[in-house]
Amino acid sequence: MFFHIVLERNMQLHPRHFGPHLRDKLVSKLMKDVEGTCSGRHGFVVAITGVEEIGKGLIREGTGFVTFPVKYQCVVFRPFKGEILEAVVTMVNKMGFFAEAGPVQIFVSNHLIPDDMEFQSGDMPNYTTSDGSVKIQKDSEVRLKIIGTRVDATEIFCIGTIKDDFLGVINDPGAAS
Amino acid sequence: MARNRRHDDDDDEEYEEEEEEEEEEEEEVVRRGKGAGGRKRGRSDFIDDTALEDDEDEEDEEDDDDEDFGRGGGGGGGGRGKKRRSGSEFFELEAAVDSDEGEEDDEEGEDDFINDAGADLPDEEEGRRLHRPSILMGEDQEDVDEIERQVYERYAKSSHVEYGDDATEVEQQALLPSVKDPKLWMVKCAIGHERETAICLMQKFIDRADLQIKSAIALDHLKNYIYVEAEKEAHVKEACKGLRNIYSSAKIMLVPIKEMTDVLSVESKSVDLARDTWVRMKIGIYKGDLAKVVDVDNVRQRVTVKLIPRVDLQTLANKLEGRDIGKKKTFVPPPRFFNIDEAREMRIRVERRRDRDSGEYFEMVDGLMFKDGFLYKTVSFKSISSQNIQPTFDELEKFRKPGDDVNGDVASLSTLFANRKKGHFMKGDAVIVVRGDLKNLEGWVEKVEEDTVHIRPKMPDLPKTLAFNEKELCKYFKPGDHVKVVSGVQEGATGMVVKVEGHVLIILSDTTKEHIRVFADHVVESSEITTGVTRIGDYELHDLVMLDNMSFGVIIRVESEAFQVLKGVPDRPEVVLIKLREIKSKIDRRTNAKDRSNNIVSVKDVVRVIEGPCKGKQGPVEHIHKGILFIYDRHHLEHAGFICAKAQSCVVVGGSNRGHGMNGVDALDSRFGGLRSSSNVLQSPRRLPPRGPPTNFGGRFGGGRFGGGRGHDSLVGRCIKIKSGPFKGYRGRVKEITSGFVRVELDSQMKIVTVKRDEISDTPGAATPFRESRFASGSETPMHPSRTPLHPIQTPMRDPSATPIHDGMRTPLRNRAWAPMSPPSAEPNLHFSRGSRNFAIIRSFVKIFHIATISL
Repeated sequence: MFFHIVLERNMQLHPRHFGPHLRDKLVSKLMKDVEGTCSGRHGFVVAITGVEEIGKGLIREGTGFVTFPVKYQCVVFRPFKGEILEAVVTMVNKMGFFAEAGPVQIFVSNHLIPDDMEFQSGDMPNYTTSDGSVKIQKDSEVRLKIIGTRVDATEIFCIGTIKDDFLGVINDPGAAS
Repeated sequence: MARNRRHDDDDDEEYEEEEEEEEEEEEEVVRRGKGAGGRKRGRSDFIDDTALEDDEDEEDEEDDDDEDFGRGGGGGGGGRGKKRRSGSEFFELEAAVDSDEGEEDDEEGEDDFINDAGADLPDEEEGRRLHRPSILMGEDQEDVDEIERQVYERYAKSSHVEYGDDATEVEQQALLPSVKDPKLWMVKCAIGHERETAICLMQKFIDRADLQIKSAIALDHLKNYIYVEAEKEAHVKEACKGLRNIYSSAKIMLVPIKEMTDVLSVESKSVDLARDTWVRMKIGIYKGDLAKVVDVDNVRQRVTVKLIPRVDLQTLANKLEGRDIGKKKTFVPPPRFFNIDEAREMRIRVERRRDRDSGEYFEMVDGLMFKDGFLYKTVSFKSISSQNIQPTFDELEKFRKPGDDVNGDVASLSTLFANRKKGHFMKGDAVIVVRGDLKNLEGWVEKVEEDTVHIRPKMPDLPKTLAFNEKELCKYFKPGDHVKVVSGVQEGATGMVVKVEGHVLIILSDTTKEHIRVFADHVVESSEITTGVTRIGDYELHDLVMLDNMSFGVIIRVESEAFQVLKGVPDRPEVVLIKLREIKSKIDRRTNAKDRSNNIVSVKDVVRVIEGPCKGKQGPVEHIHKGILFIYDRHHLEHAGFICAKAQSCVVVGGSNRGHGMNGVDALDSRFGGLRSSSNVLQSPRRLPPRGPPTNFGGRFGGGRFGGGRGHDSLVGRCIKIKSGPFKGYRGRVKEITSGFVRVELDSQMKIVTVKRDEISDTPGAATPFRESRFASGSETPMHPSRTPLHPIQTPMRDPSATPIHDGMRTPLRNRAWAPMSPPSAEPNLHFSRGSRNFAIIRSFVKIFHIATISL
């Protein structure tokens, strides 16, 4: 789920940036530092939409660095248990398949794939229904439900299921081509 | 045991009504009663097989038992009339009885045997022996009422009323033997004749009034010894004299007072042999095999178990046809389900018979009972072990018929519950009821007291908390829960629950990304992420190890007793299971290899595999050995992410950690491949630039490396000294390198000369300001943005020559900038964590600059 929230961060800025463009430098550094990172609480920071407030800088002794408390608005993405997501399959193996929804990696175990889908090994490993009408392979798009999340410092890993109503392949590039 | 059968039978009747799980501990105790006469008795009368039970028995139950016992004795020696009766006072039941067996009517037992004669038992012993009330047998029979009255009197006042549930510790203590009491002596006797010896002593005691022993005890679990209770050792000797089964030379040992209670106390091994529990066979060809209890006969101490047969049909056929079987084979047939058709094919007669008791049909072959392919075998309690049985999944799987409900197996899981540790349930645990009326009720643990667990049910209409026995509950997990395995084979692993099948969870391991099957009971919910066991002995997960057959590989998984090793075979991934002892050593050497374009690959460099089965994979090199790279690709799921490839089929991607950057690599690559390879020996960046005359060709370049920090054109921009030729003694800066020649810009004359490569030597003290070198080497623009995080290091180094230092800083900076795996937020840390190498490089620069400024 995406959220638009306000976060705060203490930015350290090198003295050489002090000058007319200090603010710009600060913002660009903020973007560089923050966008794409992941925190357990808020999830992935997708984009910074605006800077609300830059506090007074504090000069660090010895280094000359200045610390600014910065409040910024950003869009974060955090997957939740029970959330329905659309994701792109990145890898298929006999244990299930991995899919990505933006920065989030989701594993769908073969136990959580409908029973009528069987693993077919080969050049392009895939899960196929017995009648061959539905196929999950690399680059397929699937709709899945997240049943578990594991949050590391730098990564959120999810387990998903497609063994439920209205879940499964939504667009198969392999079939289209 | 040579005993009167009738006695047993009598007992049987009673016991049948009793609880099934009864203690099988037997003891025979001969007690000296008052007025023991020289009467002959049937041997059987002295014995009883009675369970010694918990101390909580109520005394009237004991009473019952005693009386029953008396009756049993009576049955045994029925024909002998009074003599027999009076004899029964010589034994005493150690047994106490379980509380629910007390329903037998007293009268029945009493009517002939109990009378008042016993009322005048010696009182001085009373205090200690209250818990073992003697049977009182009179000479005369009296009417039932009289007996009843007497019994009532005797026991109504009896002090062991208090010996019920609320007997305190202190009271118990008072009953312990003291120094004044007769002592217990341990006497060695012929093995296997313990009971016989005890009975002989009993008999002897009856025959001879002068025998001064108090009792004789044979314990079933103790072979080769009996215990005799007596005041003095001499009394024991006297009693034992002439007994066939006791050697006259045998030593008599005194049992210390402290240990006396242990001799006669029954270890409360709660043998909970219920149906459907798992047991293991202790003896025979099935030794160690898992078996399921199908029937328990407590009286005969036998149990019927279901096994996977180890029957060799061929041998069976031969035997049935009367052919020579040959000598006894040592070969144990593998467990296999019995197939009737197969047997019939071999012309083995299969009878179909109905079991008398259960009414089920069995296939009988040569006296063996089969059903559904399983062998049904009746064995004694002693030949099975029921403690600590932990069936593996494979074993359980075999026992489970297809189509069996997973939850149908619940009862059999009770065995697993028996192995639960204390404090198994904790507040907040999600549990499910597995037995009883409320089966499948879910809830959360509220409180745990001993065996009782209070749970808060999930159903809204139920009372707030419900109490359950621990064994009625099982932990419950939902898919998606993150759990940690706390016992069993997979102990230590963590993962997310993918599927719940009854009481079996399928977990996706965090580390291996593989499925693990575990019992719900073995896991706890946890947010922790661990790899499980990562180490056995000196070897750790992801170590490069030398195996005993001179092959090598990377440990990709640590199992309970073995490692999975990805061998260093580049053509195909080869995984072997290796025991600890099969590993020769750990390979810890830092070596390098050359990639396809002859670039040097060292550990932690990022390479891409460009040919072979793992083509396209990319990742940092974790180990190098004999030109084989072990690459870790986190997107590679098999083999814990490790890929094994020849160095020759990989290319280095991005910057290396050791300072050869990307710029200009390609251009100079082919030309200087040779040079670089020769400098392999001096790879270590920690080395300071060589100062002495560089007789060593490689040494120069090793040193040169620091200048450009880029390996190939390392010499370019270096200050050198020309050591021979027309320009001998001149110092200058290298402008260009061609094969075999170097173009040097002389410091003293503003001109560029060409000298032979081997005519120059490094001079760290060269005077030209470094500023120029930056222009010379050209391609570098200062990388300001990324410099920031490095400043902490930089600051102290500033003073000598602030600007040039940027040149030096460049390499590591770029490295970091190029490192594909580095998350942007972790920059400063990353830099440091990259090891002290870069730092060393920087340090050596500082040195150079110092010198440079000085010479300026």
